[in-house]
Amino acid sequence: MIQMFHVTKAYPGDPPVLVDINLDIEKGEFVFLTGPSGAGKSTLLKLMFLAERATRGQILLAGRNVARLRESGIPYLRRNIGVVFQDFKLLPTRTVAENVGFTLDVLGTPRDEVRDRSLKMLRRVGLEHKADVSPLKLSGGEQQRVSLCRALVNDPALLLADEPTGNLDPALTVEIMDLLTDVNARGTTIVVATHDATLIERYQRRTLRLEKGTMVADERGAKAARLMSQTA
Amino acid sequence: MSAPAKLAYFVRTAVGSIVRSPFVHVIAVASLTLALVGFGVARLARAQLDTLVDALGGAVELTVYLADDADAAQVDALVTALSQRTGGTVTKVSPAEALGRLVTQLGEDGRGLADLPDNPLPWSLELSLPKGAREPQALEALAEKTRALPFVTGVDYGEEALERLTLIARALEVASLVVFTLVFLTAVIVVSATLQLAIFARREEIEIQKLVGATDRFVRVPFLLEGALQGVVAAALALGAVLALVRWLDGQGGELLAFARVGGALAVDWARLAAELFGAGTALGLAGSFIAVRRFLRV
Repeated sequence: MIQMFHVTKAYPGDPPVLVDINLDIEKGEFVFLTGPSGAGKSTLLKLMFLAERATRGQILLAGRNVARLRESGIPYLRRNIGVVFQDFKLLPTRTVAENVGFTLDVLGTPRDEVRDRSLKMLRRVGLEHKADVSPLKLSGGEQQRVSLCRALVNDPALLLADEPTGNLDPALTVEIMDLLTDVNARGTTIVVATHDATLIERYQRRTLRLEKGTMVADERGAKAARLMSQTA
Repeated sequence: MSAPAKLAYFVRTAVGSIVRSPFVHVIAVASLTLALVGFGVARLARAQLDTLVDALGGAVELTVYLADDADAAQVDALVTALSQRTGGTVTKVSPAEALGRLVTQLGEDGRGLADLPDNPLPWSLELSLPKGAREPQALEALAEKTRALPFVTGVDYGEEALERLTLIARALEVASLVVFTLVFLTAVIVVSATLQLAIFARREEIEIQKLVGATDRFVRVPFLLEGALQGVVAAALALGAVLALVRWLDGQGGELLAFARVGGALAVDWARLAAELFGAGTALGLAGSFIAVRRFLRV
């Protein structure tokens, strides 16, 4: 699903944010991307949904070399990628349901269908009763769930989540992670950037660790959990 | 993908944007309305002037004076030749009829003319021309050609009055073109500025749209629609204002225009004026929003 070959990302005048990254994430995998703040996790995610372009190296998304992709082709690729942002990026001028349906609006989905699918998604995260309120009236955890709904409502092939449980209490964290696990079980490839060691230990999935822009570890299962408990 | 659903979304987004920040849109619509009212009034004035020119032009005829020795058959031959050449109506005026008219025109001073032993006036032809042939240049060319015809001794037409009116109409046309270019440019700049504010207000929305896979066109269309909607609303308001003005001029304000009145009520082709106003309004709104989208929307 995602392949990176010797990928480097640098901004002019600054040291590189990512250096010589090589990775291969299979279709249907659930991967944690971890590392301390400033390690390059968010930048790596941005490369994955084409919000940034690599300075050097090759990135293949679903077999397509993104370096050769025209700007006009990016939107069509993004429609297969759901993104959950650390700061939610919800629109305060729209209701919760409208925020969720935003992805479907872009695809030209009829209004009734947008509403139905948005409510169905909100029901999965227990927020159907908040469908018609402003996101500003929701708690941080609720906003994160709405953000997750927006990313998933289109049944994307790939879900990228940047600290999706960063603002949630332990009970809600489990709820969100269970939802992600469920989505993954249905075939969606999931990459979760987190520095929450307990998550990685609990779910024991493949874990990529970044430090100072370099990939320092790529472990699976119990080994990943041990790695995190040692380095977190 | 559903095109109607997308269109409905674009309309909802554009209307929603106008509703959310009414003040800036009111400014844009007001400046567009002012420009369009000016345009509408100028069109009315031009139409009225055309009616005036037509009325005068209808009265201005080419008068062709014939030689004394032209007989009836030769006069008839000239009538046929002139009407075929110009498409106009040719009326024969006998010397007696011409003298009668002159006597009537001169009134008291003309009494002596009736006592003349011989009528000194020749046969003449009065040529009433179709609308397209009343231009000064066309009339001049026709007069020149007519002078060369056999038995024609002179040709007369109201060249001075016609030239002056035509000059006034042209001057008005050029002046209104210059003024409207400036007014329309100002309106476009105002629309563009309001759309720039709208783009700024919706920058987060645009960012998210792009992240969830919106194409550049999808992001841009609502803004273009917003500008077009401003133009349509302004055109409707301008049409209402012009309608009110015409009613006022037909009523108590009519004395102001008494000098230029040809008939009774002002003759306005409302369907054409509405089409022009809505066309111009939409075009101006689109132009303003297009500039804003091109200059300020980085997608």
